[in-house]
Amino acid sequence: MTATPASERLATRRTLHLALATVGWVGTLALAQFGPELLWNRGVVFSWIALVLNLAVGAIWILVHVRYLRAAGELQRKVLLDATGLALGVGLVVGCALTAAHGAGLIGFQLDVALFIILIAVVYIVATAIGNLRYR
Amino acid sequence: MRNRLRELRDERGWSQGALAEHADVSRQTINAIETRKYDPSLPLAFRLARVFELRIEEIFHDA
Repeated sequence: MTATPASERLATRRTLHLALATVGWVGTLALAQFGPELLWNRGVVFSWIALVLNLAVGAIWILVHVRYLRAAGELQRKVLLDATGLALGVGLVVGCALTAAHGAGLIGFQLDVALFIILIAVVYIVATAIGNLRYR
Repeated sequence: MRNRLRELRDERGWSQGALAEHADVSRQTINAIETRKYDPSLPLAFRLARVFELRIEEIFHDA
């Protein structure tokens, strides 16, 4: 993040691009996930199209995110890197522990990958907010 | 790492925002360096040195 108006405008535009790419990815994922049941009665061709579209938009989202990180100021990059490390670490450790617990019959509920995605997202958002508050 | 950022900024009557603008970083970055919560990268240290027309070691030194 930079302080000059031109750089701020550029940073705002990059953030907007990232937000749009994220919404696009989530939207196409929802389409690929729920479309077969709700929209095209499990037609295979449409399901493949939705899946390929989701992968394509996902690839764009990854590129936009990488570009966003490269363009971020060094302090902001540090905050985001710390948050990413924490989110991936917590997701991996808790995910493996829950899988082991499920295998050992210690927990009754069914494990779902959505749980880990939500966990990673929540940890990332909280860690980013804390990082930004810390260096305010 | 200790630094004289605040002292040098005060000498020139600059706010953190003004220095941030000169160095092309965020005000938060300047604040974090001044309060020693964050050590700048070498390119940023060079940039700050250029802004103050000093050598890096005249601004930053070991704690």
